[in-house]
Amino acid sequence: MSKKRVMFSPVTRLSGLLSVEVVEERGGIIEAKAGGTLFRGIEAIMKGRHITDAVYLTQRVCGICSLAHGTVAGYLLDGLYDHELPENAQYLRNIMLAADTLQNHIRHFYFFSLPDYVKMPEQPPFLNQNLHDHRLSQQDNARLVNHYFRSVAVSQECHQLLTVFGGKIPHQHSFVHGGVAVAPTADKISQCLALIHSVHSFVKECLVPDTELIASAYRDYFRIGGTPGRFLSFGMFRFGSKNQSPLWRSGVLAGAQLSVPDVRLISEDITSSWFVNADGQEIPSPSKPAAYSYIKSVQYAGQTFEMGPLARMLINGFYRGGNSAMDRIYARSMETLLITELVIDWLNKLVPGPPPIQQKKVPVKEYAVAATDVMRGALLHSARIKGEQVEEYRIITPTAWNFSPKNNKVQTGPVESALTGTVIPGPDMLYTVLGRIIRSFDPCISCGTHVLNAKGDLTGKMVF
Amino acid sequence: MQKEEFNYRCRELSAGLDFQLTKYVLDTVQEHRKSKSAGKLPVIWIETSDSGDNNIAFMNTTYPYLGQVLSGLIDLLYSNTFMAAQGKDALNILEQAATELRGKFTLVVEGAVPLKDNGLYTVIARTENYSLTARDVLTWLGPLAKYVVALGTCASFGGVSAARPNVAGSVGVRDVLKREVINVSGCPVNPDWFVGTLAHLLLFGAPELDSLNRPALFYGFTVHRHCQRRSYFDQGHFAEKLGDLECMFSLGCVGPRTGADCPYRQWINHVNWPVRANTPCIGCTNEDFPDGSSPFFTPLPEKNPPPHEEQPAASKGGAKGE
Ligand code: SF4
Repeated sequence: MSKKRVMFSPVTRLSGLLSVEVVEERGGIIEAKAGGTLFRGIEAIMKGRHITDAVYLTQRVCGICSLAHGTVAGYLLDGLYDHELPENAQYLRNIMLAADTLQNHIRHFYFFSLPDYVKMPEQPPFLNQNLHDHRLSQQDNARLVNHYFRSVAVSQECHQLLTVFGGKIPHQHSFVHGGVAVAPTADKISQCLALIHSVHSFVKECLVPDTELIASAYRDYFRIGGTPGRFLSFGMFRFGSKNQSPLWRSGVLAGAQLSVPDVRLISEDITSSWFVNADGQEIPSPSKPAAYSYIKSVQYAGQTFEMGPLARMLINGFYRGGNSAMDRIYARSMETLLITELVIDWLNKLVPGPPPIQQKKVPVKEYAVAATDVMRGALLHSARIKGEQVEEYRIITPTAWNFSPKNNKVQTGPVESALTGTVIPGPDMLYTVLGRIIRSFDPCISCGTHVLNAKGDLTGKMVF
Repeated sequence: MQKEEFNYRCRELSAGLDFQLTKYVLDTVQEHRKSKSAGKLPVIWIETSDSGDNNIAFMNTTYPYLGQVLSGLIDLLYSNTFMAAQGKDALNILEQAATELRGKFTLVVEGAVPLKDNGLYTVIARTENYSLTARDVLTWLGPLAKYVVALGTCASFGGVSAARPNVAGSVGVRDVLKREVINVSGCPVNPDWFVGTLAHLLLFGAPELDSLNRPALFYGFTVHRHCQRRSYFDQGHFAEKLGDLECMFSLGCVGPRTGADCPYRQWINHVNWPVRANTPCIGCTNEDFPDGSSPFFTPLPEKNPPPHEEQPAASKGGAKGE
């Protein structure tokens, strides 16, 4: 049988715009190209602005994980101004990031992932579902559809909790550099405790059992969609007056080897991306031949790496499963449960008092790198400033790592590797199988695509 | 129910502490649909160049919650975020809806539209032979829609996607289509503004618009007018640092020239808004956001817009001041 090229586009139920082109031969995928088809360029927008604009402006990179960018930009500014973070600020910030992460994971599981496995009602927005591999009993299916709609209020409650402190979301206001501008008063704390307890019950009673149900009905997906097994995390939920101590450890996991990451080993490559180099500047070039994505290939020590909840759970020893589409989904749900418990603990540790914020007036450094894990994996912001003005701002997102297109060594990124070699059981199963594997990575293409000033290699040893 | 009465009730209920407005909207819609045996509002939602924050904001709607909006108010036919269909199955729905519901559907555009390089900076879908850009989709569907709603500030005016240096040459929907576009701006939109607008379209057609083509119901007055800290402003008591309880004008607040009802409507089940979180309003509903609000923490008179742009007048923004 001859080779067949198929364009899978649009890949719906994710954040941003994604097209995936595959080559099929004898019922198997022999090549995959995952292309982010949206370019916005926040890095260019940051150039020339006041550095304190970073927290609010970079949140606009992404809607579903806005506080991920707010958090890293906040840490970056803490570094440039050399702030001392009060303890209450550390708790508050982690509560807020955790709430956004819970919102993200719950929405990803129910709104984005569920229709890959569950037959949705024949009405908008679920028309033409085309689910040819449905394995749930009518009763189980009905229960999960019901949970889809129940998750609406629960994910909303996660954002409500965040807003009690953050003013609004997406794009919250109070988590800024030097701390948090809102007072953790007793009434706010008890309001948030009520909200998180409701989220916690839902996660325990619905999300976790629902994940287990899907995992057992579709257990072959524990062997489908694996990557080469290189995982990376920058560590998550940072404490300490200088954001120096992540609660969940960072790590580079390759095979059985676990080591500490060093940002100087990160590099980017534009071989397959719609960018060209012009006078040391990378500029977008949407007609570049053979390119297929606005996402750049990112490597650590010359190799592509997978990141996200599975990477974090493996690196921290919280999960002992394997490396597949279903492991990714499973690890994300287990992480969701762990995070709800952390938020309850942190809310109880908050001491009611005035706004925990101390901002110094002027930056004391000209260059800083901030890196931490957020919902989808390792996120990095770096900035070079002159006075208080941005000369260069750089963002490397988790989606760029996971959705790396082919680099100059024709090495594929994790998603492309996960798709390659997959067997498609029948012609009407192509979208279903591809969709399940792709969504297990929780793609966020709005995050994936920006432009940078190519001369800036990351400098300075970053302690994780 | 008369349009005037509906608008009156909306205004009145917005000011109430128990926040009955959206709940009221849903009941009214149900009653209307029953009495007229009318269908739901058919919606085609196209995501273009933005961060996807407006669809997340939409998921945060309360009374009616998202599930109620989908079951009782709109038929969300095409939506990259929610639809179960994928690949060509999804595109088929788009083509079918555009043909069968020609002149009847509401086109919601979430995001700006890049024009440079044939619009290739935002591709909605690709086939083996061609790329369907945001601009292609808009010029195709725009003339066929009954209403066009630009959702969020990027779709309305360009927003962050068009912020300087605007590498992709992005513009708002109004600069692509030669027809009326209802702008529901905000970065992101407050779900009440959007769901309220959809309900208005279903019940009474296009709402009354301000000078920036936004529903006057939500954007008609400035943030400053209803701000809880207005008495501090009037007496000249200004915050010295973030976290202070006085007026945030000194820390960059753009409330005086921003049309929005945040001080009383608030966000995410109406629990808080930026000034109550001890930070300045950054004017995210404005025509010149973010460039006209940046640097965010610099007082309004000292904000320095790029040299090629004029300083917007204090009254700009389509809202009544005071
Ligand atoms: S300037 Fe801002 S904080 Fe002060 S009263 Fe007006 S809207 Fe409120």
